[in-house]
Amino acid sequence: MELIPALSYLAFFLVFAGIFAVMALGLNLQWGFTGLFNVGVAGFVAVGAYASALLTGPPEPDRLGGFGLPVLVGWIGAMVASGIAAFIVGVAALRLREDYLAITTFGIAVVIQLVALNAQAITGGPFGIQSIPKPFADALGAGLAWNLTYLGLVVLVLGVAWWALDRLVASPWGRVLRAIREDELAAASLGKRAAAFRLQSFVLGCMLMGLGGALYAHFVGYIAPEDFLPVLTFQVWAMLIVGGSGRNAGAVLGAVLVWAIWSVSGGLIRGLLPAAEQARGAALQVVLIGVLIAAILVLRPRGVLGERATVSRHAAGD
Amino acid sequence: MTPALEFSGIEGGYEPGLPILRGAGARVMPGEIVTLLGPNGAGKSTLVKAAAGLVPVWAGRVTLGGRDITGMPAHRMVHEGLGFVPQTENVFANLSVLDNLKLAAALVAKRRRRELAEMFALFPDLDRQRGLAAGRLSGGQRQMLAVARALVASPSVLMLDEPSAGLSPKLVGVVFDRLRAVRDAGVPILLVEQNVKAALALADRAVVLVEGRERLEGAAREVAADPRLKALYFGAHEEAA
Amino acid sequence: MLQLVADGLVVGSVIALGAVGLTLTYSILRFANFGQGEFMTWGAYLAVSALALVLAVTGAGVMEPLGPFSFGWQLIPAMALAAVLTAAIALAVDWALFRRLRRQGNAITLVIASFGAALALRNLVQFLYGTLPEYYTREIQIAIRLVPRDVLGGLRITPDQMLVIGLSLLLVVALHVMLARTTLGRAMRATAMNPALARVAGVDVDGVVRATWVIGAMLAAVAGVMAGVVGQVRPMLGFDLLLPLFAAAILGGIGSVWGAVLGGYIVGLAESFSVPLFGAEYRAATAFLVLIGILLLRPTGIFGERA
Repeated sequence: MELIPALSYLAFFLVFAGIFAVMALGLNLQWGFTGLFNVGVAGFVAVGAYASALLTGPPEPDRLGGFGLPVLVGWIGAMVASGIAAFIVGVAALRLREDYLAITTFGIAVVIQLVALNAQAITGGPFGIQSIPKPFADALGAGLAWNLTYLGLVVLVLGVAWWALDRLVASPWGRVLRAIREDELAAASLGKRAAAFRLQSFVLGCMLMGLGGALYAHFVGYIAPEDFLPVLTFQVWAMLIVGGSGRNAGAVLGAVLVWAIWSVSGGLIRGLLPAAEQARGAALQVVLIGVLIAAILVLRPRGVLGERATVSRHAAGD
Repeated sequence: MTPALEFSGIEGGYEPGLPILRGAGARVMPGEIVTLLGPNGAGKSTLVKAAAGLVPVWAGRVTLGGRDITGMPAHRMVHEGLGFVPQTENVFANLSVLDNLKLAAALVAKRRRRELAEMFALFPDLDRQRGLAAGRLSGGQRQMLAVARALVASPSVLMLDEPSAGLSPKLVGVVFDRLRAVRDAGVPILLVEQNVKAALALADRAVVLVEGRERLEGAAREVAADPRLKALYFGAHEEAA
Repeated sequence: MLQLVADGLVVGSVIALGAVGLTLTYSILRFANFGQGEFMTWGAYLAVSALALVLAVTGAGVMEPLGPFSFGWQLIPAMALAAVLTAAIALAVDWALFRRLRRQGNAITLVIASFGAALALRNLVQFLYGTLPEYYTREIQIAIRLVPRDVLGGLRITPDQMLVIGLSLLLVVALHVMLARTTLGRAMRATAMNPALARVAGVDVDGVVRATWVIGAMLAAVAGVMAGVVGQVRPMLGFDLLLPLFAAAILGGIGSVWGAVLGGYIVGLAESFSVPLFGAEYRAATAFLVLIGILLLRPTGIFGERA
């Protein structure tokens, strides 16, 4: 095997794994640390991706934007936009039963998908947005050097997010969050403040998902509604569950593992099935991952790494 | 004589490794009311729930009229003749009084099924409220319905978990009076109570449970006079503090 | 105007039937089942296969339309067979997945699992049947003009559409009678209210759970076939209806059968009236607006008892 293409593919693989890891960290904050069930991951990722693409892309005559702003501004804008979307959903659904949040986030993802498909003047409709700027591509071209540079950027962002989340979880804020999740009595005694903590965690998590979307958009260079289908939500969930929710390392490890399984199984299907059957093969791939996630839920509910056994539900009640 | 209901050496609890019952035993003979007393956390409610199949039993035996029913699924126990009235939420609030009773009657074999008219004769208050959703009954009427619901399956033993909880002293008197009638009709009763005085006045015998094990047992009158009764309650409080 | 009402009622009937199944499973199994939509899809596709089977067995080859309808009598046994098979799938998924997770005792894990199961079921349909739409019949039906055009815009409706409205009402009434009058129905209501008490009252809760899956899946399958009769059978049929289903069930109040029916009609009408306002492409977002509205204003739903 030649070295350059192999390295190039490895970088490509790791960039995606890293982007997924950022999203999985966001989901871990929501689910692993706060117990919030978000089924709209793909929607919040899409908001971030489109926001950054609009802010940084070159102007288009028949569409809003782009504004040609620096990529960094796009990334921050992505987080802000996803955060606002999360705030709206959170205010409506967070004070209710936990499964209502699941249904509402599912709904927002459906609506975001509709807007992406139909609001041509903003999102470019089914064709999406092309020529999203790739940072440093002018200097580095499109080859291995750029892939490696972008990998460095993704790793940097992932590292900062990971570090910040670890600090946050260890802070008083994180301890309150855990208390709310583990102990209904504590949650009840906090009353409205508990709802505020939940909302903050939800918004922060969705901001990370939006950032993940922006990282994706600037790596691939074009986005379309079909990039943000429910299967994306499912992939991120699979990553968190396989790695073990409640640990940031689990979220990151799960992202690498599931993306590896996904890539290998996708490669096998492409290699083994004739061209006419590829669409069916892709469906089978999702079925297999669906079975994997179910099997892990049943057989190894704490995931590969599992949650640190800090507080059991019983001990918290004593 | 074969006991109507007997526990021996029951160990169990909600979570493995955290036993609440540590070898508890008790016995109910035909025709008597036995009250299960003990300080908070002694495992009284847990014992009857374990017998009813709602809490896992790790060791020991539960026999009903001599038949081993240990570990049987809760709904099978009803068919075997064990009636249980939980402490709270013991009626189906969304079903009418009549539907509560109809359901309970329909679930057991025909030979066990009692006439609803019999229940309404025993609890005339319920007769006037047949169509009302059980959730809208008063506290005392709910207790009556809960007992009637268990009785309609003609249990060979009836277990009640704190039927006096939340009732006014006057209503406690009414409910206990009905329980006496139930016993006189031939259904022995095991009664978990927090209300020691009222329970000892009603019961024929008493068993005092402390830390998941029986510590004192005897005729209700003797237990009421026994100085150890207070000590057992008091001692446990001291430990807890 | 009238036409919009009629269209809304047709869509609403399909939503209502699916939502009734959803509200039942939600209140008795105690989790939001994201797989309910996929039972509709499976029901619709299994009916396609069952129809081919019935046609082959009876040697009819082509379906002769039954009376004014676009399909022949063969669709009726096919639908029944599809409903039975869909129930079998629901029981199999429960046995392999949900039953084990119930023992772990965390309701939200069940929701994740149902989300995974839904995706797997949906993609399995795509794998088996492909992505092209299927039809039970190619027969073109002429709509009957019930109201002339100069009265409130007029009203045209096909016999198939009328059948959908009628059949869904009939099934809901049958379900209501079952829940109100039979021991199984009372046991289901009792289990929804208080599973532990149901056990000590003698209810075989595992049996009730199985019955609930069977009824919920069969209703979904019939709803899926009806959606196929008035539209097309597509792999996304159930997924696209999932949000309206949830909106209808929550709008009516979880556990309330008539609430789910009313919720279904309201969501169907809202979708229908949104078309002239916002355009057909945003039709699917209407259910979300209804959902957000009810969550903000009255989260227990119209007939809901508990939050």
